[in-house]
Amino acid sequence: MSAKTQTYLWLIQRLSAAVLALCVLVHLATLIYAVRGGLSAAEILGRTRGNLAWFAFYSIFVFAVTLHVPIGLRAVLSEWLGWRGAGRDLALLGFGVLLAWGGMRAVMAVFL
Amino acid sequence: MHRLSGIALALFLPVHFWALGQALQGEATLESFLRWSEQPLVKASEWAIVLLLAAHLTGGVRILMIEFLPWRDWQKTLAALAAAAALAIGLLFVLSSTAHAQGWPQKPVKFIVPFPPGGATDISARLLGQKLTEIWGQTVLIENRGGAGGSVGAAEAAKAAPDGYTLFFPSGSVVTANQYIYANLNYDPEKDFVPVTNVVSGPQVLTVPANSPYKSVKDLIESGRANPGKLYFGHAGIGSQTHLAAENFVFQAKLDATAVPYKGEGPGLAALVGGETHFFVGNVAASIGHIKGGRLRALGVTSKAEIPQLPGVPPIASVVPGFENTGWFGIVAPRGTPKDVIQKVYLDTRKALQDAVMKEKFFAQGLAPVGNSPEEMGRAMKEESELWKNVVKARNIHVK
Repeated sequence: MSAKTQTYLWLIQRLSAAVLALCVLVHLATLIYAVRGGLSAAEILGRTRGNLAWFAFYSIFVFAVTLHVPIGLRAVLSEWLGWRGAGRDLALLGFGVLLAWGGMRAVMAVFL
Repeated sequence: MHRLSGIALALFLPVHFWALGQALQGEATLESFLRWSEQPLVKASEWAIVLLLAAHLTGGVRILMIEFLPWRDWQKTLAALAAAAALAIGLLFVLSSTAHAQGWPQKPVKFIVPFPPGGATDISARLLGQKLTEIWGQTVLIENRGGAGGSVGAAEAAKAAPDGYTLFFPSGSVVTANQYIYANLNYDPEKDFVPVTNVVSGPQVLTVPANSPYKSVKDLIESGRANPGKLYFGHAGIGSQTHLAAENFVFQAKLDATAVPYKGEGPGLAALVGGETHFFVGNVAASIGHIKGGRLRALGVTSKAEIPQLPGVPPIASVVPGFENTGWFGIVAPRGTPKDVIQKVYLDTRKALQDAVMKEKFFAQGLAPVGNSPEEMGRAMKEESELWKNVVKARNIHVK
């Protein structure tokens, strides 16, 4: 892999980390509000379904996870297990797709 | 540490997404998911994830600062630890709050009803208690603690542990009027309780024994005016809703009658059937059985118009212009009860009241579901309290 691609991956890893830190804080605040407000499942879904702003926020959350996790695992697999090459990247791509599919499935269940 | 926690979180994420996607297919499944998440093993894994997330963030923030900020090492470590601590505290707060709201109730819940069985308060509490038992999966026990216009039960409820497992189910006047009537009240409605929700409200009905010579409200009023102090009316205790309703009627109809307190609405109505008293202004819920059973005769209702449960019974207002009186029954909790538990009781009560069968059962008792929020109930109680303060003063109703 070229040095340029490595730099891009490094940058994406850091940017997605910053986005995730922000998302976790917003997610926490939302959970505290819902739990402390004693909202029932019906009321939570009543507020989230059809709300495009929350749909966009959680889609970004899932997207950041999808980028951050495979890139992080890539470094671990290379340095700890010595697994390099196309096989590793393909496996990580598959893992990324799994995260994106699972995450968006949950997001769509809540918001659509 | 950063990498190890990252690996663990990476493995957890697909499971989390999958479980969430499965659970959020509908409201019912989300409720079951929330119940499932209360299991000790799931709870323990949540706590482990909190620690992992905190550890991962500590490392992550430190890496970002090493790479992007010209700080000294100890400053970076300190900042990273502060960020992690903030996250951990936030997450632990969420988990503990969730545990409280979703973990309650873990055992039977007790409603203290400050009147004996058979009265409207008792009937309302039992009807709601049955439905909440279904919703919570825990038995709602009704404990009748009658006496002194509801004050005995209120004092006991005020002293109960504020954990949500003992709630107070009074009629309105116990928490809005008794403080002005009883000189030595051993509870303070405003300081000892917080509102949860007004469950049901409804008008009252003026009844006389089936063999009474009074066939109408007009007959009763004329007799009361002609024989001052010779008419006796029963009530559920000094300061009870039935007492205040009857006093209101006597005052507005300008007749002279003598009040006879009983330990509750049930005993008061039984005494009326037995001829101990001449009339009773009772809640429809408690009186309707006696009326339909032919033991009591209904002369008038306290609503502005006739009510469907008692067709042919005219409003007292047709004889005493402007007369109206409404009773209500609700839930209040000992002060200090967790806010999330109060919210849950309110929301689940509202849910119970929306049930068609429940509506029908309350309708048959002459009661209409209310289910207002704790804030709305608090405001309504304050307004009513002011009203009774004035009435009690004007009518000089006091117990020393």
